[in-house]
Amino acid sequence: MTKKILFVSLLLGSIMCKAQYNNLWIPDTLAGTNFNLNLVDTFAQLRPGNQTITAGVNNKFWGPTLFFNQGDTVHMNVHSFLNDSTTIHWHGMHLPAVMDGGPHQVIPPGTIWQPYWKVTNNAATYWYHPHLHNMTMEHLTKGLGGFIIVRDPIEAALTLPRTYGVDDFPIVLTSRGYNVTNQFTITNNINISEYGDYMLTNGTPNAQVSLPNQYVRLRILNAEIERGYNLGFSDNRTFYVITNDGGLLNAPVAVTRVKLMVGERIEILVNLGTNNVGDTLNLKAFNAGLAFGFPGAEPQQSGLNGSLLNNHDFTVLHINVAAATANPVTTMPATLANNIYWTAANATVNRTITVTPGSGVGLAEFAFDNAAFALNTINKTVNINTIEKWTIVNSNIFSHAFHIHDVQFKIVARNGNASAVGDYESGWKDDVYLPKGESVSFVTKFEDYSDSIHPFMYHCHFSNHEDGGMMGQFVVTGNTTGINEQQTKHKDFSLYPNPANNKLFIAFDDPTMQVYYIKIINASGRTIFMLPRPQLQNGIEISNLSAGIYFLQLTDEKTKMTVTKTFIKE
Amino acid sequence: MKNKFIKSYLIITATIVAVIFSIQGFCKEPKAVIGSTISDFGLKNVDGNIISLSDYKNAKGFIVVFTCNHCPFAKLYSKRLIDLNNKYSVLNVPLIAINSMDSLAYEDESFNKMKLKAKTDSFNFPYLHDDFQNVGKTFAAGHTPMAYIIWNENNQWIVKYKGSIDDNGENPEKATSFIGNAVDELLQNKSVSNPVTESFGCKIFYRK
Repeated sequence: MTKKILFVSLLLGSIMCKAQYNNLWIPDTLAGTNFNLNLVDTFAQLRPGNQTITAGVNNKFWGPTLFFNQGDTVHMNVHSFLNDSTTIHWHGMHLPAVMDGGPHQVIPPGTIWQPYWKVTNNAATYWYHPHLHNMTMEHLTKGLGGFIIVRDPIEAALTLPRTYGVDDFPIVLTSRGYNVTNQFTITNNINISEYGDYMLTNGTPNAQVSLPNQYVRLRILNAEIERGYNLGFSDNRTFYVITNDGGLLNAPVAVTRVKLMVGERIEILVNLGTNNVGDTLNLKAFNAGLAFGFPGAEPQQSGLNGSLLNNHDFTVLHINVAAATANPVTTMPATLANNIYWTAANATVNRTITVTPGSGVGLAEFAFDNAAFALNTINKTVNINTIEKWTIVNSNIFSHAFHIHDVQFKIVARNGNASAVGDYESGWKDDVYLPKGESVSFVTKFEDYSDSIHPFMYHCHFSNHEDGGMMGQFVVTGNTTGINEQQTKHKDFSLYPNPANNKLFIAFDDPTMQVYYIKIINASGRTIFMLPRPQLQNGIEISNLSAGIYFLQLTDEKTKMTVTKTFIKE
Repeated sequence: MKNKFIKSYLIITATIVAVIFSIQGFCKEPKAVIGSTISDFGLKNVDGNIISLSDYKNAKGFIVVFTCNHCPFAKLYSKRLIDLNNKYSVLNVPLIAINSMDSLAYEDESFNKMKLKAKTDSFNFPYLHDDFQNVGKTFAAGHTPMAYIIWNENNQWIVKYKGSIDDNGENPEKATSFIGNAVDELLQNKSVSNPVTESFGCKIFYRK
């Protein structure tokens, strides 16, 4: 009898333990055309006991979701209050390289960076995250990042769930390891596993969410350091992939499992209309039994490459089915978009990039074409408006996720075989799973933005690999100045009023002069403002600067020569 | 995925390098490991006076806390530092706070903002500006907040504790005070039972 009571209480106890879910954090939203993002050091209660040191955007581990409308020009005010330099990259966005937030746009502590660009991307789910070379893994681990959701007329015309936090949910998948004092173990330390032991979904441990019993849209991002997710539902139900990284698919693709690699996004529709209120199900990673090479399929539970989640099926989100909303979406469109993709036949330039071993020093385990990333080396030069076919060959010992900045691409072949490309990955992509021993070919067009100085990146999105040098740079050239113009003498300008109080204006000797970059630096050498291609007609707002002497460094768009002038803030 | 062979090689290399550096380290100056000696120093307090350990004629020991202005985790501890100083300064174990952050790189850590913080948070202890980061380097303080206890033995200041102040930043009522326990033990002429804990918070970046 006593044994029975003990057994029952143990059973109950274990059920109760399993029921310890936390409500999924739904990131706040920011909309409009001006976005204030404050990068801060902070902390979070992720486990019982002491808090975990994190970083965040606008005070949260995993920051606000930004809503952009296609066609708008968006202005970002990125203010770093971190005590470390970082960068913020707009992953998937098509924009000028100088606005891209790659490793060259370093934001020092205390600095405001103000990039802006016209949103031309299709409606889909994008994200922003740090990209400082050698520090990406550490800064990403700390929780710097957030979603970007782009809206456009094609998507808006479809009957799709799109009420944020009601029938349309952002889901960011990460995992973390903790030490005995509850601090993250993942840093840029080669002796510590890059795989986390515990899920953090939207920064929430053991997350649960209530979803209405109707069609629900989940925007899922893999923001891991290295782990891949083989996603599906606990009841093995069919669900539908409706977008890839850069836009709607032409039609929903029915799946029961879908692999999501680091940096990739999918939007899925799941029909909970067949469920009863009170039903529960889990969104799971079916990562057990996958072949070696899939990141997170390794057998070891601890130590080098180890994790409690490795080679396991595990829950990433517990779902409680709730009552339907007032005007539920109960059907799914048969078609979504009419994308016209470039084909391999359209490509006039073919490039092959091969995954090779790295130097072996530090995190440098892998490289592209035997060359580790070097900040001052441009690896590829692309002519603007060229359609190119890139083939990434991975005959190396492990799988990767290949990501390219600036563009969206169309996967045209896996292992040289067009029919091996999955329907679920048939849309616009900026990030692609590159399995061990395979190759991937994609076609893309390099449009709109050329810049002979600032490069774009291509890299493995496993941030330990990227930090280790598995990254290259390309510049898009054309429609810019020729060599002769670069040799011309720089044009002069003056600052007025000087001393200035609220606004600082620039008078150019040559009114056609264009500004590539302005930096304002205080007397102690601290960068206060980083202003790529500033719009100067209304002057530069300096009312928040404290009184003193400042240096304005102006880089000419044509000559790329930099001239420094002094001004006094009253 | 990390390559094990490369790692073993690296560990060996790193060990050799570490040994070389630690030998060099011993030759140069002792770092603040438990039992090592800390030389007196003079740093400017927020009231403008230079404070040295030797100013405290009756001190049996000091609670030395590396903290700063901006760090959210360090900010949680202002009241606890005041309480510790209230409790232990009368027992001749005063608390001194030191800011070793790079105030050149980080404006929020400027001396003026330190003065403001000491006033706003009603600090009842010195808040010293380690302008050249030398004292932080001597202690090898890695984060804010990070605490040390140094104790007078034969007129030398010996490091007896290094690490966290306690084990719960946001919930002081749930916390075990590592500092309080260690000072209590030292006041009873006992050795510190838990002399090293992990410190974490905001990283102190040292200028070369």
